[in-house]
Amino acid sequence: MRENGFAPIADYALIGDGRTSALVARDGSIDWLCLPDADSPSVFAAILDAERGGSFSLRPAEPYETTRRYVEGTNVLETTFRTAGGAVRVTDAMTLSPPGQLAPFRELVRKVECVDGQVELEWGVAPRFDYGRRHGRVGLRAGRVFFTERSQALALSVWGAEPKARGEVRFRRGDEALFSLAAADRQPAILPGRSDTAQRLEHTIAFWRGWSEDKEYGGPWRDAVIRSALVLKLLVYAPSGAITAAPTASLPETIGGARNWDYRFAWLRDATYALDALLTLECPSEAHAFFWWLMHASRLTQPRLQVLYRINGGDRAPEQELEHLSGYRGSVPVRVGNAAVGQLQLDVYGAVLNSTWLHATRHGDLGGETGRAVAKIADYVAKHWREPDSGIWEVRSEPSHFTQSKVMCWVALDRAIKLARDGLIPDHTARWAAEAKSIRVFVDEHCWDEERNSYVRAAGTRELDAALLTLALVGYDEPNGTRLRGTIDAIRRELGHGPLLRRYHGEDGVAGEDGAFLACSFWLADALARAGRREQAAELMDELVGLANDVGLYAEEMHPTTREFLGNFPQALVHLALINAAFSIAEAQGS
Amino acid sequence: MTLLGALAGGFVGTLVLTTGLRLAQVLGLTRMDIPLLLGTMFTEDRTRASVIGYAFHFVNGQLFAIGYAAIFYAVDEAGWLLGTALGLVHVAFAGGALVNILLPAIHPRMGTRWTDAKESPLLEPPGFMLSNYGRHTALVTVIGHLAYGAIVGGFAAGL
Repeated sequence: MRENGFAPIADYALIGDGRTSALVARDGSIDWLCLPDADSPSVFAAILDAERGGSFSLRPAEPYETTRRYVEGTNVLETTFRTAGGAVRVTDAMTLSPPGQLAPFRELVRKVECVDGQVELEWGVAPRFDYGRRHGRVGLRAGRVFFTERSQALALSVWGAEPKARGEVRFRRGDEALFSLAAADRQPAILPGRSDTAQRLEHTIAFWRGWSEDKEYGGPWRDAVIRSALVLKLLVYAPSGAITAAPTASLPETIGGARNWDYRFAWLRDATYALDALLTLECPSEAHAFFWWLMHASRLTQPRLQVLYRINGGDRAPEQELEHLSGYRGSVPVRVGNAAVGQLQLDVYGAVLNSTWLHATRHGDLGGETGRAVAKIADYVAKHWREPDSGIWEVRSEPSHFTQSKVMCWVALDRAIKLARDGLIPDHTARWAAEAKSIRVFVDEHCWDEERNSYVRAAGTRELDAALLTLALVGYDEPNGTRLRGTIDAIRRELGHGPLLRRYHGEDGVAGEDGAFLACSFWLADALARAGRREQAAELMDELVGLANDVGLYAEEMHPTTREFLGNFPQALVHLALINAAFSIAEAQGS
Repeated sequence: MTLLGALAGGFVGTLVLTTGLRLAQVLGLTRMDIPLLLGTMFTEDRTRASVIGYAFHFVNGQLFAIGYAAIFYAVDEAGWLLGTALGLVHVAFAGGALVNILLPAIHPRMGTRWTDAKESPLLEPPGFMLSNYGRHTALVTVIGHLAYGAIVGGFAAGL
């Protein structure tokens, strides 16, 4: 049910083509689509401003109930609207092109089939270019509705109904219609034919089915794992191999609050979890491409690493506020770009070195140039780990000595030593080992609270931080050792709300509170499994899998009491954490 | 005005262009790596790719020098100024079409703007004027090619 024009975040499903993606609401409205790429300005952004954002609605003109699912093993959505008089099925996809076919640059296809009785259906296509700033021009050419703005064009083809931007049609059982919204950017639009469009839709379904059938996972929560893999694949920006953190911008961490960030970038932090998940899921080509992207994108700044990069490899992401948009349910400011790009976050070094190690473990070779670059990164960590940073949560308060950052610096040096031992990178082991030892001493002396029997958020504080669960995932301590056992229990006790966890206690420089961070809950399940607490891990995992929306997707956060989805949606890190947790539990169970 | 001079200029010009781009990489101005881009058409091994790519780039340098020489003969004039002007045309073509559109179209390991979820390329597409490889890339590339053109023109004219 919409509130002031806004659907709950959990009402959305994601479709995409590996370059951009769209959010489809349960009521059939496509409320988010950026063109031509995931980080381009939007043409549909009703999710950020119900009036000005633009959308593509398609729904019965009479009261209805909705059921929906993804076509099995695919990223193609099937929504069935049932009314008093009948039922229609709408199949939504962003199409992939069969080899050799002259296909649109990007294409959104909506197929309508009346499967029962009669249904009056209405549609409305209202693109608003450049994040709702521009309406563009509308005209009819070659039997299509054209929406044009500067060098962009959208061509709406309709078969089985009148070619209009807004219309109504009565369907009877067996009737079919096909809508194709073809995008062009700095090129002539390709005008698709009906049979080619239908063929592309079938080709798209076949591709996704084939891709997901290749994923070998026989453990528990298989459906959730495969759905997460499919989400992850949608978030891989195919032209470069980068993984987008989420396809959306400025979905709020608190309704009405200011914690609204743009996640349409590739965070290096996600690298370690992504490589792990892609390799265990038997996605070697995606893992290989991602590693190449990682080393190539960061080349401009190496040995210093940025927190995030643009998905095309660019290193700038200037943050700006879109004051003309109302924000999701009044949550302002609406931000695009991300100022975190300029922060020092030391944990990314551990993520990158761990990824390198995972990659090398699989491939056995890095190449001389990459090896030298990796050694320089490790040298940089050895020199800089003593500095305060903004940490994994990208706090906007003063930099601090975050425990998790220090531990990830240890991870960076530990993996560098292992890589050098295998002859894959130049050997500066003596220095790295000495600094790794110093980090351990620092963490032991300054980041441990004897009274709480837990590691703490930052040196000299008594606050807890759910990110400390990752210590169990990266091999810093024995997961069932005294210190990590105590830390896991303290985090669960003090940050937990049922299966959910808040991220931390304490200041972060931004007004308001955020919800429970779902990736942390999956890290907890993972940590419990690694600590040998298999039953607790499986029980928690059961609960968490039940928190997904009706099509198996998760937002970044969830309200601890109302269980409402919050933050950008769907978030790669959550789905990566789900995959890794499921594998850890399956491994612990010996399945 | 001699063809041999243009070829010698092509060699020296490519040397200057390649070294300049490498220097810009070391200074953190660009991620543009012509030998890597060209060499990875033939192999995934970075080291071998760089070796092949350098050789390929020098061959290209000679081919372009022949093209410059043809223009010098056609207009019956050569010199560093005309060479620089041709360098400008050269870089506009290289950045706007050759590397931006044609190279991704034939490169087996490079993505294009059309690459979709079915593929997992290993190299990101360069973008117009190679801007995906860093915001100073266009400037560095233009300067490098102007230098190349000036050197070819100067050598062809007998300095």
